[in-house]
Amino acid sequence: MITLGRIGRYGFLLLVAAVSLFPLMWMVLSAFKPGGDVIARPFAFDFDQLSWTNFREMGHTIPIGIGLRNTMIVVLVKGALTLLCCPMAGYAFAKFDFAFKRVLFGTVLTTLMLPTLVLLIPLLLEMSELGWVNTFPALILPGAVDAFGVFWMRQIIAEIPDELLDAARVDGAGELRIFRSIVLPVIRPGLAALGVLTFINIYNDFVWPVVAVNDTDHQTLQVMLSGLARAAVVGQLGDAASAWGQLLAASTVAAVPVLIVFVLLQRHLIRGVMAGSVKG
Amino acid sequence: MTTKRSRRRRSAVPYLFIAPFLVIFAAFGVYPMGFALQLSFTNWHGAGILKFTGLRNYRYLLTSPDFWGSLANSGIVWLLVVPVQVIVALAIAVVLMNSRFKGAFSAALIAPFVTPLVAMAQVWIIMFDTDFGAVNHVLGAVGLPPVGWLTTVAWAKPTVALLVLWRTTGYAVVLLMAGLQSIPPQVYEAAKLDGASAWRQFWSITLPLAMRTVSFVVVIGTLTVFQLFAEPYVLTRGAPFNSTRTAGLYLYNHITNSDLGLGAANSFLLVLMVFALSLASVRLLRPREGT
Amino acid sequence: MTRIARRTFLRGVGAAGGALALGACAPGAATDDNPLTASSSGAELAGEITIWDRTGDLYKVFDAAIASFTAKHPKVKVNHQAVDVNAKLPSTLISGADVPDGAFYDDALVTGIAPHLHDLTDLTAPYKKDIAPVKLGVATVGGKVVAVPWDLDPGLLFYREDVLQGAGVDPAGITTYDQLLAAAHKIKEKNPNARPIHLENDQFLAQLWVDMFVSQQGGAMADADGKLTLDSAPYRTVLTWLDRVRGEGVGTLAKYTQPTDLATLEDGTQSLVPWAQWFSFAPQSLLKTSKGKWKAMPLPAWTAGGPRSGVMGGSSFVIPAKAKNPQLAWALYEHMTFTSEGYSTVYGANSTYPGGLNTSVPSYLPALDPAKPLFQPIEAMGGQDLWKVATEAGKSIPGGYRIPVWWGKAVDYFGVNLQKLLAGQMNVDDVLKQSAAAIQKNLIDAQ
Repeated sequence: MITLGRIGRYGFLLLVAAVSLFPLMWMVLSAFKPGGDVIARPFAFDFDQLSWTNFREMGHTIPIGIGLRNTMIVVLVKGALTLLCCPMAGYAFAKFDFAFKRVLFGTVLTTLMLPTLVLLIPLLLEMSELGWVNTFPALILPGAVDAFGVFWMRQIIAEIPDELLDAARVDGAGELRIFRSIVLPVIRPGLAALGVLTFINIYNDFVWPVVAVNDTDHQTLQVMLSGLARAAVVGQLGDAASAWGQLLAASTVAAVPVLIVFVLLQRHLIRGVMAGSVKG
Repeated sequence: MTTKRSRRRRSAVPYLFIAPFLVIFAAFGVYPMGFALQLSFTNWHGAGILKFTGLRNYRYLLTSPDFWGSLANSGIVWLLVVPVQVIVALAIAVVLMNSRFKGAFSAALIAPFVTPLVAMAQVWIIMFDTDFGAVNHVLGAVGLPPVGWLTTVAWAKPTVALLVLWRTTGYAVVLLMAGLQSIPPQVYEAAKLDGASAWRQFWSITLPLAMRTVSFVVVIGTLTVFQLFAEPYVLTRGAPFNSTRTAGLYLYNHITNSDLGLGAANSFLLVLMVFALSLASVRLLRPREGT
Repeated sequence: MTRIARRTFLRGVGAAGGALALGACAPGAATDDNPLTASSSGAELAGEITIWDRTGDLYKVFDAAIASFTAKHPKVKVNHQAVDVNAKLPSTLISGADVPDGAFYDDALVTGIAPHLHDLTDLTAPYKKDIAPVKLGVATVGGKVVAVPWDLDPGLLFYREDVLQGAGVDPAGITTYDQLLAAAHKIKEKNPNARPIHLENDQFLAQLWVDMFVSQQGGAMADADGKLTLDSAPYRTVLTWLDRVRGEGVGTLAKYTQPTDLATLEDGTQSLVPWAQWFSFAPQSLLKTSKGKWKAMPLPAWTAGGPRSGVMGGSSFVIPAKAKNPQLAWALYEHMTFTSEGYSTVYGANSTYPGGLNTSVPSYLPALDPAKPLFQPIEAMGGQDLWKVATEAGKSIPGGYRIPVWWGKAVDYFGVNLQKLLAGQMNVDDVLKQSAAAIQKNLIDAQ
C-alpha cells in the first residue's frame, strides 16, 4: 500500500543517501580522469577520455598492496583489543564499585576530551624509549583502548537491569559466565556499532600512524595516502596534478575494503526492530 | 540519570574485568598525558632540556584574543553542527529503523567515512566557489545574488560547519540506531493499540527513551567540534581573516610550529571548556519526567 | 553526567597530575656544535643511509638521481623512503628515534628545525661562492649553513601574449612596476571586464608571494640578528603598489589554482601574473583554452635598473644531527646538487618528466648556463625556452633575504592583515604597524 507517508519516508532516505554518496561518486569517477582535469574541470566527465592511468601510476608510486596488508594487521589486532577490553571495562564501571573507580573514570573522561594532537610528541618519545618506533606495536597499542569505547560500553551496559544480573548470581552463575551469557547478548547492537565505528576509525586513522612509522613495510594505507595528499596540495613542485589523480585512485581502492566490511557487518548492526513492531 | 546502586559488590571481580583495559590505558594513555601536562608548564620547542616556566603558557592563552577568538569560532561552529546533527541524525535513524532496505541506505551513510577529507574538501571548494560554484549557480537560477561562501566572514563558518555535518552525521546515526534498538518493541505495540499516531509515538516514547543516547551523541559531537582541525585547515586554513580558525586549528598551529609547551597548555584548557560545555548540554537535555 | 561526574573529573585531572611524576624528561640533546667534516678521504664510499623524500613524482626523479650515485659507488646502499616529510620530520627529530640520514624539506620550515641539523658550513665552503646568494642566505641559520640548497624558484612575470598583443602592450616595455600598472590599464581600456593583475587570496601563499617582491629588493621580514624588519621600505613599497592595483580596479583576487583563478586565467580576465617559476605548472597541466598563450619574462624592477627577480618558495636537503651516517648523506647530496651528472639527472628529461623538470632551476650557479638548458622548451607556453628566462632571472636575485624561525606563524598576523589590505579593509600603514606589533609581541618576545 503506497501511502503519502511511505513516499515521504523513502524520498527522505533517498535524498540522504544521494547527499552522502555524492562526494564518493565524484571521487570514484574523477579517479579515471587526468589529475589536471580534476582540478581544472571537476564536473566535466568526458566518458571517452576515462582511463586507468591514475591507477597504474598509483601502483608505481605507492605499494598499495603492502599498505593494505599493514592496515589489515593493525585493524584486526587493534580492533580485537578494543572489542575485548572496552566491554569488560565498561561492565566494571557500570555495574561495580571498586577502589579508585571515580578517579579512573575521571581520567578516562579527561583523555576523551583531550585533543589527541597534543599526545603525538609524548607518545613518540615513549615509543622511542621502548624502541618501538616504526614497528607494529607502535601502531597497535597506543589508542587500542579508546576512551570512547569504554564510555559507550558503560553507557549501554548501565541500562541492563540489575535484577537480571543479580538473579543469575543467585542461581550460582560465575561472573565471567554472567558477562558472556547475559551482558554480551543484550549489548549486541551497541557492541556491533562499536565494532563498526572502531574499524572505521582505525582504518582511517592517519595522524598518529604518519608520525609513528617510517618505511613502507609498516606504513598503513592512510599513511601512504597522506603522502600523496601532501603532494596534491603543495603547489610548488609541479606534481600536484599527477598526485591528485593518484590520490583519487588510491582512495578509491582504499574505500573498497571498508565498504565490503560494512555491508557484511550491517546485518548485525541494524538488526531490525523486533518482528511485529512498527513497520512502514 | 543515576543507575541503581544495588551492586555493592566489593570483590576482586571488577579488577579482573578492568585489568586489560587498565594496563594499556595506563601505559599509553595516562603516561603520555602526564608528560603533556608537564610540558604545559614549560616553554619547550622540541630541543634542549625542559625549562619550567610555571603558569606562563596558561596566562598567555587566557589573555590572548587569538585564543578566545578561536574558542568563539568553535562555539559558533558547535551551535551550527551539534543541534542540527542531533535532529537530522535522529530523524534519519528513526525513519531508517522503520523502513526496508536498511542495509543499502546505511551503507550510503558510511560513504563520507571512506571519502578522504582532501577529496571532500575539494568538492566543497569547487561547489561553493563564489564565481563559478554550483551552489551560487543554483542561487542565480532562482534570482538570488551569489554568496561568498568561503570568502566572507559571515558565511565561511557555516560552510565549514556544513562539511563537518556531512562527514560526521553518519557516525551519529550509527550510535543512535544502536540506542533506538534498546527500546523494547512492546512499548510501541502498546502505544499503537492505544491509538497513538507515529508522531505521538516518537515524542512520547522514542525521544525520552533515546535521550541517553542523544546525550551521548551530543557529548561526542561537542568534543569532535572542539578538536576539529582538519576540516578548517583543508578548506580555508582559518581564512578569511582567521574567522574559521577553530580551537582545534589554533592548537594545530601550535603543535606544528613546535610550540609544544603552549600547545599542551592549550589542550588542557580545551579539556576544561569541552567538559563544561558537555555538562551544560547534557543537563539541558535531561528528560523532565521520570522514565 | 551528574554532579558526581564533576568531582570524578577533577580527580581524573589530579590523577593525570600524579602521572606528571611518571612523565619522562625530554631527551635534552643539544646539537653537536662542531661542523660536519668530510669522512677520511681516499676511502671508497661504503655504507647504508636512509633518505626521506616527498611522495609523488619528485620521489621518482630523485630515485633516478640516487641510482646515478650508487652506480658510481656500488658499496653504498640507499633506503629511499617516500614519506610526508612535512608532517614527519619535526616530530622524528624531536624524538630522535629512527632519524633519516637526509631529508628533503621546505626552505620556509628549515629554520624551525635548525637546532636538530648538522652544521654543514665546512662542507659547503668550497661551493659557497657558486650558490645563489639568496639561497645561501635562506640555508644559513645563526651563522651556520644547515641545509644543502637545492632549487631556486625565481619570480617571473607570466603574461598572456595574445591579450597583450590585442591591447597593443609590448612586454619588453614593462621594466618597472609602474609600467606594469600602466600596461594593466591599457589592457583594461581594450577590455573593460579585464582585471589583469593577479592578487593572491590564500593567506599563506600571499605572504610567500609578497616576500618574492621584497626579496627582489634585498629585504626580508627579519635581519641577520633576528630583529623584526617588517615595517620597512621594501614591504612598504610592495604593499603600496598592491593597494594601488586593488584600488585602481586592475587586480583579480583569487586563490592559486582554485576555480575562480583558473577560469579568469582562461578567459583573459587575468593576463599578468607575477609568480614563481612554478606557475608554469598551470598552462602545462590545468589550462585548456589558454594553453600555449602564456609566456614568461623577468619581473619588472622596483627601481629602474634594479634586480628583475626575487625568490618564492624553494626546498633544500637537510642532514639531521642524529643521522647515523651523515657523511655518506652529504656525499649523496653533493653529487645531486653540485655535480653536472647529478643535477642533470634531476632536471633533465626522464620517464616521469619527458621534457625535464621545469618548475624550478638549480640554485648552483654553474648549472645556470642559459646556453645549456637542462629542461626543454615548453610547448604549453608556446614553445618558450623557459630555461633561458628562468636562469637569467635567477642569477639576478640579490642576496639579503632570509626566513626567520617564526615566519610560518607570522601568517596569522601579517598574512591575515595582508588579505584585509587586498580586500580594501585595511591601509598599508595599519597592516605594517599592527602586524609588526603583533609579531613582536606574540612571536618574538613571548619565546
